[in-house]
Amino acid sequence: MAAIELDGVTKRFEDVTAVSDLSLTVEDGEVFGFLGPNGAGKSTTINLLLDFVRPTAGTVTVLGHDAREESVAVRERTGVLPEGFDVYDRLTGRAHVEFAVESKEVDADPDAVLERVGLADAADRKAGGYSKGMRQRLALAMALVGDPDLLILDEPSSGLDPGGAKEMREIVLSEADRGTTVFFSSHILEQVEAVCDRVGILRAGELVAVDSIDGLRAASDTDAALEITVDSSVDDDVLATVRGLNGVGSVERDGADALRVGCDSDAKTTVVTTLEDEGVAVADFTTREASLEDLFLSYTEDQGVGGEEAADETSGEAEPGDDDADEKPVEDAEVSR
Amino acid sequence: MSWQAVARKEFRDAIRSRWLHGSTLFFALFLGGAAALFFGVLIGAEGRQVSNLFGFFANLGVFSFSFPSLLALVLGFIALSTSYGSITGERETGSIKLLLSLPNSRLDAVVGKLLGRSGVVVAALVVGFLVAFAVLVATGTRLELGSFVPQVALTALLGMAFVSIGLGISALASSNREATLATMGLYLVFAVLWGSVSEGIPKLLNYAAGQVGAGGVSELTRVKIGVFLKYLNPLKVYETLAAQLYYGPVQARLVSATFGEQAALGPVLEESIPFYFTGSFLFVVLLAWIVVPAVVGYWAFERADL
Repeated sequence: MAAIELDGVTKRFEDVTAVSDLSLTVEDGEVFGFLGPNGAGKSTTINLLLDFVRPTAGTVTVLGHDAREESVAVRERTGVLPEGFDVYDRLTGRAHVEFAVESKEVDADPDAVLERVGLADAADRKAGGYSKGMRQRLALAMALVGDPDLLILDEPSSGLDPGGAKEMREIVLSEADRGTTVFFSSHILEQVEAVCDRVGILRAGELVAVDSIDGLRAASDTDAALEITVDSSVDDDVLATVRGLNGVGSVERDGADALRVGCDSDAKTTVVTTLEDEGVAVADFTTREASLEDLFLSYTEDQGVGGEEAADETSGEAEPGDDDADEKPVEDAEVSR
Repeated sequence: MSWQAVARKEFRDAIRSRWLHGSTLFFALFLGGAAALFFGVLIGAEGRQVSNLFGFFANLGVFSFSFPSLLALVLGFIALSTSYGSITGERETGSIKLLLSLPNSRLDAVVGKLLGRSGVVVAALVVGFLVAFAVLVATGTRLELGSFVPQVALTALLGMAFVSIGLGISALASSNREATLATMGLYLVFAVLWGSVSEGIPKLLNYAAGQVGAGGVSELTRVKIGVFLKYLNPLKVYETLAAQLYYGPVQARLVSATFGEQAALGPVLEESIPFYFTGSFLFVVLLAWIVVPAVVGYWAFERADL
């Protein structure tokens, strides 16, 4: 059974279309990362799952229930860490968790849950005095009450320090091991890479790619990042020419005398030759495997490749050897000329 | 249904607010202080009975004053301030996302808030009445419990009605600011304008009827319409029902009536009370003020995107 099923979902707010004809299926037991720049529609999508907002068109099904008509049934089995929430200032941490226990009508020990998110010491303090990170943990504790079948986490690590983010990640992974489906949104890509089975990339309300991270790498024609040091500044015409080359995903200036090019590894030489043909003196260049960020940019930048198109063009070209290389995080290869 | 969880949360939250502590203190000083002043100082031993304060009505025909109406004004204000921000406030801070992430339906949220916030208002009120009761006992005042106890219950219902009105505003408003303004405006209507509007409407009807050639509306009908409209005001309903507890229905209907109303209605009431002026009817009006605003609020809240 699919844990989440969106079918042709559109959400318009007055004159803004936040989500446009979105179809997406998240399988039971999957850890699904939902990526996209700010304003892409991630939170709106999550709000649709929880019946905070209602779709203009299309259907939303969560855990087999219609998200609109049977929202309470959905939320009985779903733990939620919302985005942009606040706590009840006058209630203690424990009172918050007790509220979750009573609302879910389960028999759970509030202190055990608080212990799990590292808030046991602060349980009797009023949540109004909590830091951003503690509020985030408190909401996670409320979400975890009653061992939900689905966890929906909207920007879970915002406000957490690196240690807190790591704990959050560990909790997510241990929940996933228990068989819980996890759906979370983030713009912190390393997090997604560390925990997700699949990711979906949303741009301007539209889903531009859904795949495993390796799959995205293979599908995108941006599997290498080229850092080029030049002697003089490069004018816009030249940048446009390079951008127009076959196999080039993105081209950006990196200061006055450097360029960053996301491209297919086969296109590296062409990029450098083209620059030289255009009269740009290339002093040095470095290639490395595209980071998730490069991939992300290639999908979300306007001048970047369209997701689906890229998938059609290049998925067949991915060689088995590339997959092995993909598993190592970042591999720098210095090439001098 | 998890409205109990919401109600408990609301109660635990609101009972810790300084505003409520202040209100409780106020009720204690107001009710206890008034009892001490009346029965300890002003009234001699032979006149010490509850009706001389809690059933105190003075009607000068053009201007009337009563202790129950004063209490109702204060209570209405406190109950409204306890609830008008209960939904807009949660929307503005974002805590509503915690509330509705949990398996609480929006109906649970509205019902829970109505009962939870009513609970704290009633708690503050009961503290005040207990202090007053202690003063009554201490001053050896005749308790007239048959009237006094129902009056406490009636006062609690009035508190609930204003909590419901504030909650309804909160559900309809799109911001705290809007809710604040609407609440202030509505309070002004209940406390000040309602009476004049109620008297104005029958005059307008009479004028309109004359214009279309249907003849005038009789004096008695005009008075009846005016008084009926006045009784739709929860403050007025409370005052009238409280008077009835001490003085019976006929007296109670005239307790704050103008000379004109007394002259026209007196004979009618002596004969028999029309059903729309009966105590049961007025009681239903009071209950409707508890139910209807919350229902309207729920209707709007259910349809809203957060």
